[in-house]
Amino acid sequence: MADDLFIEMEASQYTKSGQAACGDDVRFQTVEKENRHLCALSDGLGSGVKAHILATMTTSMAIKFLESNIPTIEAAEIIMDSLPVCEVRKIGYATFSLFDFRLGGRARITEMGNPGYIHLRGETEISPLSDRQVVSAHWPDREVRECEADFRVGDRIIMCSDGVTQSGLGVRKDMKFGWRRSGVLAYARELIHSEPEISAKELSAAISCRALQLTPGGCKDDITCVVVYMRRPRVMRILSGPPYYKEHDSEYARQALIGEEHVVICGGTTANIIERELGKKVKVSLSEMRRAGGLPPVGRIDGIGIATEGILTLSRVTTALEERRPPMEEPPAARAILTRMMAHDRIEFVIGTKVNECHQDPNIPQDLELRRSVVKRMTAALEKNFRKQVTINYY
Amino acid sequence: MDTVKVEICCGTACYLLGAAKMMDIESQLPEGCRDRVEIEARTCLELCERDNLGGAPYVRFNGTEIMSQATPEKVLARIRELTEGNV
Repeated sequence: MADDLFIEMEASQYTKSGQAACGDDVRFQTVEKENRHLCALSDGLGSGVKAHILATMTTSMAIKFLESNIPTIEAAEIIMDSLPVCEVRKIGYATFSLFDFRLGGRARITEMGNPGYIHLRGETEISPLSDRQVVSAHWPDREVRECEADFRVGDRIIMCSDGVTQSGLGVRKDMKFGWRRSGVLAYARELIHSEPEISAKELSAAISCRALQLTPGGCKDDITCVVVYMRRPRVMRILSGPPYYKEHDSEYARQALIGEEHVVICGGTTANIIERELGKKVKVSLSEMRRAGGLPPVGRIDGIGIATEGILTLSRVTTALEERRPPMEEPPAARAILTRMMAHDRIEFVIGTKVNECHQDPNIPQDLELRRSVVKRMTAALEKNFRKQVTINYY
Repeated sequence: MDTVKVEICCGTACYLLGAAKMMDIESQLPEGCRDRVEIEARTCLELCERDNLGGAPYVRFNGTEIMSQATPEKVLARIRELTEGNV
């Protein structure tokens, strides 16, 4: 991907009340070597486990077919032919919305049965460059819509399941036909108006949450909202470990000067280098000490960023990323790093490679992993589970 | 009377070897001396790198006096001595 562009793809979902599994499914795929970004959203017929199986089969197949450049109508036919037939309804059915974008080219959106996608440039809705309906020879009652869109920097594409557009239906007198696509569009515009750089994660969460609120008494249908947003990446830096050569300390410390909201200093010696080289002081409040909860407390360096302990905290962050644990369940130091990671698109590790001999003390009650191997694991989890761009720079 | 400054090292080695038990030491201070003690967590005092100081966890009093293998009991006792001027 071009260094200065990032495609943020995020989804937010609520499961129908009383069901153990969500009947909607979303799958994302980035094909790095082709600068290509794929997304599939499917709503399985019915709800619960049966719908979940239909939806996940659809998204898995759709992503594979997109990746292999199989013509959409052919792919849709294979999917429809493969889905298990419902005992009750005697049909096998799952809707889908597919997004396929190659950097420098146009975006292709293919839909069957889902509410029409929304393309926004700022608050303005953008019409597709081409829009056509294709009918399957196998399934004459199923229409597939194929669109091409001029997807540019700052643009957003919103795709929803009907749980979003039909929220409020039959419950609210002012919404005879539910929230509808027009309601989602108006709400997205309102959010973008008040926060022009709202992330895909926040926008999708806000839309699905609003859909849930419009349906008093619990979620009546599975709710899913996907947002794809093309923008300049939000970059954060994590400095950890002292440089191998002491004479590199000054240059290393200067890497922390990219703005307080975007920097984490991990490690006591690292924090001391920052203090010494940049003339700043780490402050740890007593309240941070009291609520440290199993990891050393979080400190703050005015004008630089936050400071945490090194290897224990990074190991904890790594496990949370690998297991996709919610940041809110982690101790404050790990939570602070995870929250920052989720709020950024590109994570730049600046890693000092000097080994801390004190960590080899046989009295230390647990194995401490080497910084480099923890960073390697963290990189894999960030790329695979969270579609972040990661760079590592060793000192 | 001067304040007693207590710096608790929260570096990895110190934390694992006992500093974790000192995170709420402020609440254990004797009533009479709370306003005369300033407790601070430090990211790392870099004392464990020296091999002749007695071992982590380390606590530093008034910027100079180093306590090795510190425990909450030892630290509280030293604070009591320093605040009472019983050095």
